[in-house]
Order: sequence, then C-alpha cells, then structure tokens
Amino acid sequence: MKSAHREHKIYNSPMECMSRDALFALQSKRLRETVQLEYKNVPLYRARMDAKGIKPEDIKTADDLRHLPFTEKTDLRDEFPFGLFAAPPSKIVRIQGSSGTTGKPIVAGYTKNDVAVWTEMVARAITAAGGGKKDIIQVAYGYGLFTGGLGAHQGATKVGAMVLPMSSGNTQRQILMMKELGVTMLCCTPSYATFLGETVREMGIKPEELKLKSGCFGAEPWSEEMRATLEALLGIDACDIYGLTEIAGPGVAFECLEKKGMHVNEDHVMVEIIDPITEEPLPYGESGELVFSTISKTGMPMLRYRTHDICRLAAEPCICGRTHVRMDKIAGRTDDMLVISGVNVFPSQIESVLVGLDGVSPHYMLVVERVKALDKLEVQVELTEAMFSDTVAELERLRDDIKDKIKSVVGINAKIQLVAPKSIPRSEGKAKRIIDKRNI
Amino acid sequence: MFITQISVYLENARGTLREMTKILAENKIDIMALSIADTSNFGIVRMIIREACIDNALNCLKSAGLMSKKNQVICIGIPNQPGALDNILSMIEAADVSIEYIYSFNYNADGNALFVLRVMDSEKVISRLQENQIKIYSQADINSL
Repeated sequence: MKSAHREHKIYNSPMECMSRDALFALQSKRLRETVQLEYKNVPLYRARMDAKGIKPEDIKTADDLRHLPFTEKTDLRDEFPFGLFAAPPSKIVRIQGSSGTTGKPIVAGYTKNDVAVWTEMVARAITAAGGGKKDIIQVAYGYGLFTGGLGAHQGATKVGAMVLPMSSGNTQRQILMMKELGVTMLCCTPSYATFLGETVREMGIKPEELKLKSGCFGAEPWSEEMRATLEALLGIDACDIYGLTEIAGPGVAFECLEKKGMHVNEDHVMVEIIDPITEEPLPYGESGELVFSTISKTGMPMLRYRTHDICRLAAEPCICGRTHVRMDKIAGRTDDMLVISGVNVFPSQIESVLVGLDGVSPHYMLVVERVKALDKLEVQVELTEAMFSDTVAELERLRDDIKDKIKSVVGINAKIQLVAPKSIPRSEGKAKRIIDKRNI
Repeated sequence: MFITQISVYLENARGTLREMTKILAENKIDIMALSIADTSNFGIVRMIIREACIDNALNCLKSAGLMSKKNQVICIGIPNQPGALDNILSMIEAADVSIEYIYSFNYNADGNALFVLRVMDSEKVISRLQENQIKIYSQADINSL
C-alpha cells in the first residue's frame, strides 16, 4: 500500500532466483533421493508404490513426480504417531502437530535438517516482506505444537531480527509492547491482526504512533479486501504466508512486497495443481487442488500430499526477481466447501462480499440448517458503529443489500442476521466461520 | 430546537433489554421517554435521558458491548385531549413531510403530554409547528423536568 516503487530484499538469491533449468535439475536429484528414502523406510508408501508397480529407479526426473501415489491427511491419522517417519526416533529433534478439529490429532517429526529447511523458508518469507536484522518482530501466533509461533520465531531469529515472542492472546499487552518497543513487523493470523488493529484504534492509538511497517499473516485464508482493511488499520504492508504442518509449517509459500501471489519454495517443495476428481495434473493457470511434495526433508518426507486447498499457480516471472512459481490465495477447500441446496459455497466468497460493503465488519459466521429437507443459510454479520441507525428502515436496507450481493455472488438466498459489534467470537488461531447444523 | 436521543441496538433475544436497563439503573439514569422498534431478529431502543447523564450512559453501554449512538429529535407538547395528536399530524401532513417515528414521554410539561418526533425534514416541520403556535421543547426544558 505504501509506494509503488520498492526495493526487493532476497534472503537466498542463488536458490530463490535460480534458472528454471537449474531448478529442474536440482528438483530431479532431490526427488530421486526422497523417493528412495520413502520406499526404504516408510512401509505404507512402499506398499502404495508396489501396488502401482513403481520402483524408485523409475523416478528419473522431476517430470516423473506425476507417476507417484498420493498421500492423504487420513494417512497421517491412520499412521499416528510415527508410522510415516522416515528417520529413526534418535534423529527426530522436534514434533509439531495440528489439533485436528475433528478426531485424532496429527503430528509431524523433524530432523535437525528439517528444522533448518523450515527455518530457511520462513527466513525467506520474512525477508520478502521487508524484514531483516534491523527489525523488531512481534510473533503473535500461538507457540506450541501449532507451527505458527515457533515457525515465525525461528525464521525471524534466522534473519537476525530482534524477536518478541508474545504468542497469542492478551491483546492489550501485545499493543503496549508493540508501541513501547517500537515493533516494526508483526507475524500472526490475519484475523488476529485485524483484531489488534481494531483494539489499537479503540485504545486511542493512531497508526502513526506505531513503528509497524509490515507483517506476515497466515494460517487461515483471507481475501484482498481483508488485506485492504488490515493495511489501513495498522498502516502496514500485509503479506500472506502459507504453510501446513504436514509439509513443514508456515513458509512453504510466501508473498513478496509485490503481493501478487505467494512464491513456493520450489527448491524444497514441489507443487502441483491436480483435478480433484480425475487426479490428473493441470497446467499452470488452471484452478484445482494443491498438491505438495517435500524434496529435502528427511524426518517425515511427504510425496504428493493432497492439501484439499483449491488454488491456481502462476509461472510468469515476478518483478522481485524470484523465479519460483507463485500460488494464488487459497480460493477455498475441497472439504470446507459447503454444498447448500446443491450450490458450492466457499466462505471466502461471502467474505469478499462483506468486505466490499460499508457499514459491516469482515467478521462473519455462516450457519447452515436443514429445515423440512431444505438447506437454509444464515449469514451473521457484525454491524459497525458508523452504520448503526436509529431507524429500522436503514438497517433493513443494509440487510437487503447484503442479501442481494450474496445472491449475485454465490447464487443462493441467505438469511442475513445483523449482530452487535464484537459479538462474533474472535479466534487467536484459525477463525471458525461455519456452523453446520445439518445431519446429513 | 432539538433534544438528544440515545438509540441502542439490541438483539431480539431474551434478556437483552434487561441487560441495558440494568446498566442504566446501576448508574442511576432516569429514562424519561422510551420506545422500542422491534424486528424478528433485532430491536432499536430509543430513549431520552437528561443531558448531564448522556456521556456516562454512552460510555457504560459501550463498555458493556452494546452499540449506541445519539441523534437529534424534536420534542413537542400535546394537550391531553381527543384530537390533539391528530391536529399535530395534520400540520405535518400539510407540510408534506414523512414521519419516521413518534413516541410519548413519561413526563408532562405545562399540562401537556410530551412527544418525541422524528421526521424526514425537521426544519420544515419545526417552522410549520411554530407558525401554528405549537411549543417546541428545548434540551434545557427537558433537563429541568
């Protein structure tokens, strides 16, 4: 948001800006090593390769990736805790995990090498967002099994910044420290960053009184409109960072200050887009399911891990000089996608409608119910002080406006419930946007 | 020529009105006039309180998480007799202005029932009422009741 002309800092130019040919050669070598490691040490993956009649020797170049079997999230649950580890326990130095909102948790094991790879990826992301050794970086992701806190912490330490490990929560104190220490960068979820921004305003602090200049925000999907809101609230450049515990954690892909897609760290992680139904790889530019393969990890390598995130890849070179492909913001999830009366609905679509409207905040909740065999979608939207009126007619006009816009974007009639400000719970981790009360 | 009204947004759910009145009671704030516009999922409470209490009321409501705002409304006195309200409305009709809402006070003044009036074009209505010798009450008048 600040200036159009900017200097791009790159953490590891030889790797991040290498020619596509050199990258192909590097990926081919690392893929061969990873396949051999998996085949030798992970019984589940060996059985899958045997079932497809594929031997490690059949994988010669990066182009052969498409012949390999997939790995699914259910595999991590079924093989919990250590079944997919390719290294002996003595070589594992870290466990991270995800709570798994439904059912069993999943865990990932890291060797010293893997922690170093992950750290490097986050260091690249922080550098791309303008961070370096002169910065004071506040990490307001939760610390613990969740990869957000420690991931950002390690990356920020690696670039030589002064790191403030706040973890999540205690918002007033976060802001006090931010102001008093002159924090220049923030790492947390975009919804928590927005909440921090709102609280800053409420406390009567102007963005100019803070030294914040940018931030890396991830762990949940967010829209361009939400970026605009966040950047205005805090007076910063807000860069997206993407990752998943199964692959490494945050830093798998990240935005540079151009903010035109997230560069995938392709020297460590290969990326594909597949058709989720036919499972065939799709060309760059087409929308489909993101699939990642780690090619430099040794603790729990993942080959063709299906994320169920819907996305697109862009191969055009970026102004910043990095040659790695860029992924769009996640358009939705194949499994979070709501099917309401036969219509596919992504929460991100609803969000894009709300953030484009005056008078409502980007906080919302979708409630789906089935009444007499018909699906009903209720969208709860928070009013803002500015929009609140003493007449019912004006509030009803706003409500009808939201209803019409949702109808035109999503194609279904939703019931709009205007609720009081701050009444929708703010999350400090991934925002919970959907309550599905249907018993299907 | 106007008095200040406070509006509060409440969800249409059990207990929300009491939540608001409890805050006002704890702060010893007298509700001089009250009306509620309700829809199936939310309501707007409108009320008149003495000027000295307004800032305190807004702050207390805000810290309890209730959204409120103030705006300006007209206050008039209407004799307690048949046809008096109709007489006022005929003047507004003659001015060709729509009424947003109207509600009565819990107080009388000069032997008249006080009413809060919100219209689309306040200036036009005020001059029409004044031409007809209808007394418009000021904030100071209200404060001293």
